[in-house]
Amino acid sequence: MKPARLPITLLLLAGILPAQQVKWNFDKLAARASDSTEVSLDGALLQLGAKFLSDDDKDQAKIKKLVGGLKGIYIKTFEFKKPGEYSASDVEPFRAPLHNPEWQRIVGTHSNEDGESVEVYIKNDSKGIGGLVIISTAPKELTLVNIVGAVDLDSLSELGKHFDFPQVEVEKKK
Amino acid sequence: MNLEDELRSALRRQEASPDFTERVLARVAAAPVRRAPRVSQPWIRWVAAVAAALLLAAGGLEYRDYRGERAKDQVLLAVRIAGSKLNKAQRKVHMLAHRSNS
Repeated sequence: MKPARLPITLLLLAGILPAQQVKWNFDKLAARASDSTEVSLDGALLQLGAKFLSDDDKDQAKIKKLVGGLKGIYIKTFEFKKPGEYSASDVEPFRAPLHNPEWQRIVGTHSNEDGESVEVYIKNDSKGIGGLVIISTAPKELTLVNIVGAVDLDSLSELGKHFDFPQVEVEKKK
Repeated sequence: MNLEDELRSALRRQEASPDFTERVLARVAAAPVRRAPRVSQPWIRWVAAVAAALLLAAGGLEYRDYRGERAKDQVLLAVRIAGSKLNKAQRKVHMLAHRSNS
C-alpha cells in the first residue's frame, strides 16, 4: 500500500469520513420529463431548515427530531406526459450504486393495479441505518429519494401517513 | 483701417513665447492642492459607521431568515415525498403479511 493512501484508508476504517450521497446522473431522463422537482438539502441547509420548524406544531416537531440526525436529503421527481416515456432500462442505472454489500434492499413492491413499484434500500453502518434510498416508479412518474444519515424509518413512514400541513411551492424545473 | 482688417489683425496667429511651457508648469506646481473637505466632528463618522453596520446586520438577518424559511419548506416537502413513498411500501408489506396470515 502506498504511504499517501494510508491516512484515507484509516479514516475510512474508523468511519470518520462523512457519509456521502448516492451519485446519480439524471441527464437522460431530464431531457424526456415534462416536469421535474428537486430537493437538495445538505447537512448545513437541513439543520438551518430544522431550526425554522415550529416546536408547537406536532408534525413539525416530529420532523425536527427526525432530521436532527440526518446529513442530507436529496430527492428528484420526474413527471412524464404519457406512460411509456421511460423504461426499466432507464431506471437500472439508479440501482447500480446500490449493488454494493453495504446497501440492502429491504422492500420491493409492485402493484399491477396502478403499475406503481416501490423499492426501499438501507445502508448499514456500525451504528445502525446510515442511509436510505427509495426508488418509486409509476407509469407517468419516477421518484428517487436519498437520505444520508441515521434515519428513523418508522417515524418517517408515520409522518408520510398524515400530511395535513399545506403543500409548499418549490421550484419546478423545465 | 476697416473692420475687416481690424478683425484679421486681432485674430492673427501668434506664436507662444519660448518660455510659455515652463511658465505654465511652474504655475501648476505652485497652485495649492484642493482637498476634499474633512468632517471636522468625529461623532458624525461614528454615527455613519454604526448606521452602516446596523444596516449590514439587518440585511444579513433578513437574508438568513429568507434562507431558513426556504430550507424549512424544502425539509417539509422532502419529508412529505419520502414519507409517503415509504408509507406506501410499508402498507403494501403489511397488506401482504395480513393476507398470508388469514
